[in-house]
Amino acid sequence: MSSSAIAPIQVSEKIKTVSDVKLKPILNHGKSIEIKNVSVSFKTSKGIYTAVENISLSVKKGEIVSLIGHSGCGKSTVMGTISGMVKPTSGEVYANEEIVSKPGPDRGIVFQNYSLLPWLTVYRNIYEAVDSAIKYKTAKEKKELVVNNLKMVNLWEHKDKLPGQLSGGMKQRVAIARAFAINPSILLLDEPFGALDALTKSNMHVELLKLWNLDNREKTIVMVTHDVAEAIFLSDRVVVMNNGPAATIKEIVDVPLARPRNKKEIVHDECYMAIHDRLLSLLIDKFSIDDIK
Amino acid sequence: MVNWQCATDNRFSSFTVYLKLKQTKMKNIFSLKKLWSLFYFIGGLALMGGIWELISSLTKNEIPSPKNTWVVFKEVMQNPMQDDPDYKGIGVKLLSSLKRVAIGFGCGSLVAIPIGMLMGSNKIIMNIINPMVQILRPVSPLAWFPLGLAIFQDSPQASIFMIFICSLWPTLINTAFGVAHIPQDHKNVGKAFGFSTWKNITKIIVPYTLPHILTGLRLSIGVAWMVIVAGEMLSGGMGLGYFVWEEGFNGGSVAKIIVAIIIIGIVGLMLDKIFMTLQKRFSYAV
Repeated sequence: MSSSAIAPIQVSEKIKTVSDVKLKPILNHGKSIEIKNVSVSFKTSKGIYTAVENISLSVKKGEIVSLIGHSGCGKSTVMGTISGMVKPTSGEVYANEEIVSKPGPDRGIVFQNYSLLPWLTVYRNIYEAVDSAIKYKTAKEKKELVVNNLKMVNLWEHKDKLPGQLSGGMKQRVAIARAFAINPSILLLDEPFGALDALTKSNMHVELLKLWNLDNREKTIVMVTHDVAEAIFLSDRVVVMNNGPAATIKEIVDVPLARPRNKKEIVHDECYMAIHDRLLSLLIDKFSIDDIK
Repeated sequence: MVNWQCATDNRFSSFTVYLKLKQTKMKNIFSLKKLWSLFYFIGGLALMGGIWELISSLTKNEIPSPKNTWVVFKEVMQNPMQDDPDYKGIGVKLLSSLKRVAIGFGCGSLVAIPIGMLMGSNKIIMNIINPMVQILRPVSPLAWFPLGLAIFQDSPQASIFMIFICSLWPTLINTAFGVAHIPQDHKNVGKAFGFSTWKNITKIIVPYTLPHILTGLRLSIGVAWMVIVAGEMLSGGMGLGYFVWEEGFNGGSVAKIIVAIIIIGIVGLMLDKIFMTLQKRFSYAV
């Protein structure tokens, strides 16, 4: 960054960094999510299958944490215990200092495959969610919320379309707008960008952080992903999981990169590269065929 | 888009636009594909007419020829709405048949859809009701007629009862299937955002199941229309079935039987088309 020749950019970057430093201690006070010794087993026809075992993790308010690991390692299961869609067999999960027993409006979920209702327009899809999740507002206020959130993700002109008429990226934006519209303090993203092409994905990362910034970085975000670069760019910490069955947390890697992060510059950052290497070596045992002895 | 609005708001000032619109409409109606399908349709009719003519000449007019049937058809259609105590026109008979089908089918559907939904959403209810459905479903609708007669002591009501019973099963089974196969993704939405039971039904269960329900209804109305004729033959007095039996067979006019068959067929086709249109209207792209 210091090698940049254009002065005005440097100044604005500095201002942002200062505001970062000021904001962080104010915002990151309480624990937002607390997972205590959680195990999840399922009954199958072949007997009891333990998906995850003895997981403990705590996430601070306003923190972005990614869960990363191989397919079927139970990342989504851990996510499910936070959202309340999956009941832990043993252990407890606390969200905003309350024990999680079922899904609630304090936790917004963005599903892997968008999960929009195909018979409702974009507008109705968001409205029905807002209408159910927020009880204390009038119909007019709810409509305002929907309108604002649709405009925020630049989908206002598509409000009357059905999900079937939208591209994958647009559908995902609707799903994200829906999750933001109920104004949850915790946002749970289950492989949100997995089905998108690389370019759309990149844009969505920036958009997600933009939304998070607009909200004063108060929302806690937990995200499941397969993508190492995505995990580093977005998160404050990356949780690497072992392979299932009975998956556990292998290691938690901190990402101490300053925000706002620049997608283009960050990849040349030494710290970024070190984290990237560390994550890769945690996830992949053998890097080339020569390693096989 | 703007031009189109001009054309509807003020036709005279943008007459050319209006003409263009008309041309595109004409194109749609007389597209080559439609012309061909019309051609095949007429060809099929001609083929059927030829076979009919042949059978008629082979049976030495025991089966009347198309031409003779046409004469009888015109005769039957002369005063369709005649409604005297001693004679009722074909239109009145048709309407009375349709009315009975509508009542029986309507009541049957009102019972079948909620029960089907309960069966689809709850495994225990499914296990309780399903065996009964499987036993009763294959029973010929005509077997229900004497039971209806015993219950209601009235033959028109007995035929409504028969329609009611036989239009239950396809709707019941299709509704249950639809509800049982709602994708987890859709259910998750309701769970994640805390949909009320009412919202779950109106925004997830019914919209997803509607195409299945409509399939069931379409099958049901087909069965109901088939059964009403048989029912009216048994009950007598009114309707198309009675017309076939009394004026056709007992009256010794095979032509009238054929006329009735054609009318029954066309009305059945129209009923089917109505439900097919509804099915198309309520299917959506995922």
